[in-house]
Amino acid sequence: MKIKIRNILLFLWLLILIFQIELIFGLVVLTGKYIILLFTDFNQAFQLIDFSLVDAILSVTLFVCIPIISFFYHKKLVWLKSSINFPAFVLIILFLAFCFAPLITNENPDFQKDLKVTKLLSPFSSVKVIRLKREEKNINSSSANFLVYKNKIIKQPFNESIIFANKVKISSSEILYMQKDLQKKIDLSKIEIVNGKPKIEEKTFILGTDEFGRDIFTRLIYGARISLLVGIGAVFVSLVIGLAIGFIAGFRGGIIDIIFSRITDLFLAFPVIYLIILILAMFGNSLLSVIFVLGFSGWMSLFKIVKSEVISAKNKDYIISAGLLGLTKFGILVKEILPVIIVPVIVNIIFQFSNVILAESALSYLGLGSGRSYPSWGSMIESGQQYITKAWWMIFFPGLILILTIFSVNDLGKRLNKFFNPAA
Amino acid sequence: MTRKKVTLLACFLILFLSSCGSENTNKNNRIVIGIPADINTFNPLFAFTVDEGAITELLYLSLADFRWNKEQGELEAFPMLAKSWEWAKDSSSITFHLRDDVKWSDGVPLTANDVVFSLDVYSDPMVDSRLYGIFEDVYTDNENHIDIKKTFTVKSDYELQINFKPNSSPDLIDIVHPVIPKHIFEKYDRKDLATAKDNFNPVTNGAFVLKKWDRNQSIILGVNKNSFLYNPDNIDELVFKIIPEYTSRLIQLTKGEIDLMETIKTGDIDDLKSNEKIVVESIRGREYEYVGWNNIDPKTYNEKKEIVPNILFGNRKTRIALTYAINRQEILEDYLYNYGELAATPISPIFKNDIDPNIKQYEYNPDMARKILKDEGWTDSNNNGTIDRNGTEFEFTLTIPSGNPLRPYEATIIKNNLKAVGIEVNIETQELGAMLDDIDAKKRDAWILAQYVPIPIDLKSYWYSDLRNTQLNFVSYQNKKADEIIEELTAHLPKDRQKELYYQFQEIIHKDQPVTFMYWMADIVGINKRVKNINITPFGAITHCWEWAVK
Amino acid sequence: MNKDILKALTKRIVSSIVTILLLISFLFILVRLSPGDPTQKFLSPDFSPELKQQVMANFKLDQSVTEQYLNFLGNIFRGDFGVSYDYRMPVFSVIWQFLSFTLVFTSISFLIQIFLSYYFALKSIKKSGGLLDKLLSKSSLVVYATPSFVLGVFLIFIFSAKLDLFPSAGLKSLDFDSFSFLGKLWDYIIHLTLPLITLSLAGIAMFYKYLRDNLEEVYRQDFILNLRASGYSESTILKKHVLPNAVRPLISVAGIELGILLGGTLITEVIFGLPGMGRLMMTSIFSRDYPLVVGCAFVAGLLMIITNFIADLVKMKMDKRMIKGLMN
Repeated sequence: MKIKIRNILLFLWLLILIFQIELIFGLVVLTGKYIILLFTDFNQAFQLIDFSLVDAILSVTLFVCIPIISFFYHKKLVWLKSSINFPAFVLIILFLAFCFAPLITNENPDFQKDLKVTKLLSPFSSVKVIRLKREEKNINSSSANFLVYKNKIIKQPFNESIIFANKVKISSSEILYMQKDLQKKIDLSKIEIVNGKPKIEEKTFILGTDEFGRDIFTRLIYGARISLLVGIGAVFVSLVIGLAIGFIAGFRGGIIDIIFSRITDLFLAFPVIYLIILILAMFGNSLLSVIFVLGFSGWMSLFKIVKSEVISAKNKDYIISAGLLGLTKFGILVKEILPVIIVPVIVNIIFQFSNVILAESALSYLGLGSGRSYPSWGSMIESGQQYITKAWWMIFFPGLILILTIFSVNDLGKRLNKFFNPAA
Repeated sequence: MTRKKVTLLACFLILFLSSCGSENTNKNNRIVIGIPADINTFNPLFAFTVDEGAITELLYLSLADFRWNKEQGELEAFPMLAKSWEWAKDSSSITFHLRDDVKWSDGVPLTANDVVFSLDVYSDPMVDSRLYGIFEDVYTDNENHIDIKKTFTVKSDYELQINFKPNSSPDLIDIVHPVIPKHIFEKYDRKDLATAKDNFNPVTNGAFVLKKWDRNQSIILGVNKNSFLYNPDNIDELVFKIIPEYTSRLIQLTKGEIDLMETIKTGDIDDLKSNEKIVVESIRGREYEYVGWNNIDPKTYNEKKEIVPNILFGNRKTRIALTYAINRQEILEDYLYNYGELAATPISPIFKNDIDPNIKQYEYNPDMARKILKDEGWTDSNNNGTIDRNGTEFEFTLTIPSGNPLRPYEATIIKNNLKAVGIEVNIETQELGAMLDDIDAKKRDAWILAQYVPIPIDLKSYWYSDLRNTQLNFVSYQNKKADEIIEELTAHLPKDRQKELYYQFQEIIHKDQPVTFMYWMADIVGINKRVKNINITPFGAITHCWEWAVK
Repeated sequence: MNKDILKALTKRIVSSIVTILLLISFLFILVRLSPGDPTQKFLSPDFSPELKQQVMANFKLDQSVTEQYLNFLGNIFRGDFGVSYDYRMPVFSVIWQFLSFTLVFTSISFLIQIFLSYYFALKSIKKSGGLLDKLLSKSSLVVYATPSFVLGVFLIFIFSAKLDLFPSAGLKSLDFDSFSFLGKLWDYIIHLTLPLITLSLAGIAMFYKYLRDNLEEVYRQDFILNLRASGYSESTILKKHVLPNAVRPLISVAGIELGILLGGTLITEVIFGLPGMGRLMMTSIFSRDYPLVVGCAFVAGLLMIITNFIADLVKMKMDKRMIKGLMN
């Protein structure tokens, strides 16, 4: 059975839409409100910008626009009609998680509450949720109004108005609830009442929770962003360095070439992971430093490709004659060489990409990854390995996702290589 | 081909059978302790880390033996290498009477000359010993090297008098340190002592001798049968097994491959308690967790070396408000499973005599925090959800060291707690070494760290105003009244006066709240039930191991 | 001919030396510019500021970086890399204690990788397109994508914590010395089984895939058809003609793989608590043991250069044989 990529995309899109219709609707309204606020009170609106708001607005806009755009351009996007295979499917899922993380999951990745109840829950376990009444504050300005609405829609890492419990017992005036072996009670008047009954829901953690009671599914979805971001960022850094010094070394030759080649040898003559560990351990590790250090340690093969192509092209007749005609050699070289090297470079950076993701998670295992402030897969594995005897799911799911990702990216690289060089 | 396979199979069978016999020879009279990192020296001169200290004290004895008296909450000295000692009436000298039956492990008898030599080397500036610079009560030259002629009077091989400076306030614990063999170390140039070969193959006088040291694998100590501490009923062998990974260490403890491990995470206690073979103990009151608020402004201090109160944390009332706003109890219950207790001051509750019972905790009370902040002028004037004053938003970066998962947990709780009173916190993780560098240079605004407290109480290193000479006053706390108390406390005082001063100090520090004292944390130790006679004190679990026995 | 080789050799050695010198100079300056200093781990009330000054002076860290660097250069030409701050021993005697393990460990792993991948590749090429071939090919891709630390942690979880078949950490038992020779050997085997699997699996997958594809390609070439047509037996074709052609490109890959191995052994040593170079390097970095960091880097760089050199030599040798074979 062959399924087209187009159909899979449509299916996943509908899936998100159906499951999260309420959230998506809320976000669309939020976007609208923000636009209104932008026109009425620009200064306030500007002050209210933060990452989660931008993220939510962008992803919901993209979510609504993408089907429309692709409907108009579907004739040009030929690859949408090609049939799907497993690695491609994985990559599509990753792409969706990367773009629409706030839509796929209804939770903040750092949300934690009532650790006693939510700590280290196995997959598919569920807890009771007691909702408390929200205190209605006097709202006097449009911006405050917007803020209240925003906090309702966009999930925060903490929530004062819910309580997690293992067991709940309702009596006439109060609610008794168990948090592990601790019994607590709360007055009925403080609880949100729906249809004359106190509102008590059930919450299921499909992939379980970690040591801080955070939802692993949510963290995996958001983790895709961090891990892919590290990959893309580091590859970009490598690409810029490799291209720049490859061009310069190939174009100028002579002493500059020798110096750069020696530096390349230096990097190649050493297990680079040591260098990465050394820099990160001694200068501190953060998301940015990991991206840069991984980028700085991966440009060597790009450099070699670019340099050799530049040298071989430099001596071709038409380049030399173009130089005689008064055109700048450098400009021609760039124009000439880019199309030639684009194929090996793309294949190279795709493999580079999977290496970087792997390296980031290995660094996280050693405590030197992008840090625990972001839910990267590596940091999930790092904390997971400490709980392996008690909570296998903490390391199993991120580990599995990591393997699938690397496998799929490698596969993509191989296919591209075959596609561009059918002979080899 | 098949023949090859048969031979191969036979080989494996033989190997397997031969190993079966050996695997069960788990020696009965041996106790194995799991430690995370190898030690680097057996020489007490350079025993900087906790494990090095513990191991060298098993190998090298001191003149006296200090034990913790739980009821009194204070140190008591017992005879060890010295049978007895007496102070001169005016405390100007002390005379030790040494045991005459102690021999070094190479057979040479231990005499008073070894003691003199040890103190001489400890204080020698050429040596960089871990105790360099602490000998203040005895006669020293201007490089802090002990003046041997003035300080020591060797009356006989086994009688030694130590003379103190006039007007000094000597204490036994300041001059009693592990004794090293003179006849071994006098051969070396003092400069080369740190790298001496005998540091790795030590000649010792203690209850144990080094049997074998497999670098990064294990340290095997055998009991010293010639020692006066030897008791044939107790253990024969003590092994320190180096297992860097925490999870592996824990697995080995539950499987019975090791008998003892320290620093167990609170999350693992329940599992261990359900294990029939293991008891869980805790060492309490040696370490408190705190949130450091930089009392001074980092920028002006670093640029102009001037001390200006921190715009956010320079005010004691604000700091008290912050303490009110943080739900310490929740972390203690949820994460630490109540292994610990809330802290109010830097004086540990183990010092039962000196702890002021009148100090009341700032219990979690966000309303109170909001009120104080409002009184101090912090309000949300621009409606962005964060309080501000004169155009300064109450927003800061909280730095935590990487590694310990407790820190990010605490940081998240604190962030949420403070958000509830309108304060914006950004969390930043930093590698511990780099972080200490920054804190030491007063570059950070706020951070979470733990502070280990020494026995006996030492306030000067942590809370004295002179920022250049107090290496541990990270928050730059400065209070003249506190300084006076600290200065008076350095002298040898009658107990009542001491207690009075400690009470006063606690009151001041509680009012100033230079840091938010979180809680005294417990070091959790898992011990196999077959280990007997083990006595857990604030000094840790690995002390006086010669008294241990196996059931 | 000989002169050329000599010339190439000298050129190579000189450039290697320059590279390594550059490398350790780079590291030397890098570690000294980094925040933090080696005395931090001693921080305690006992550790007075005077003592800190003393220790810093003793480590020669109170001088300027340029001064330190010039001193350092002078010393290394005398073969002196200094004394490790932590181990209080000359750097090379520390490294030697750990290097031997890593060398043996990685060599065994390397041999396992080569032999197993060779074995599997031959098996699957025999019935190209068969069930076994497909299974191995697919699984090799997944195995290759598995990070070693995920694998290692799971191996410990299953085989050590749950099934209690293998020890979770360490190189040998405490009673190692009392064992017979076979007992000792067995002790090593059970302690190293999980680490070797962790270190080798990805390499086996990679070599396997590479070798299998190469074999397939060679089989598809015309001269094999000719040989078959002239009646040579399959095993002769395989041994005399296919294998040499397929293995040759593998050698340059093997040279690179050795470098990857040196990095991979670091993770494996950390997971299983083994006393090797990787862990030594890690701990020296974290405790800011500057001389040891530079010393380790030197040795690691040297190892890489030597292994690459050997790989090139082997390749040259094989080439020559091929040339001779053609001539005959």
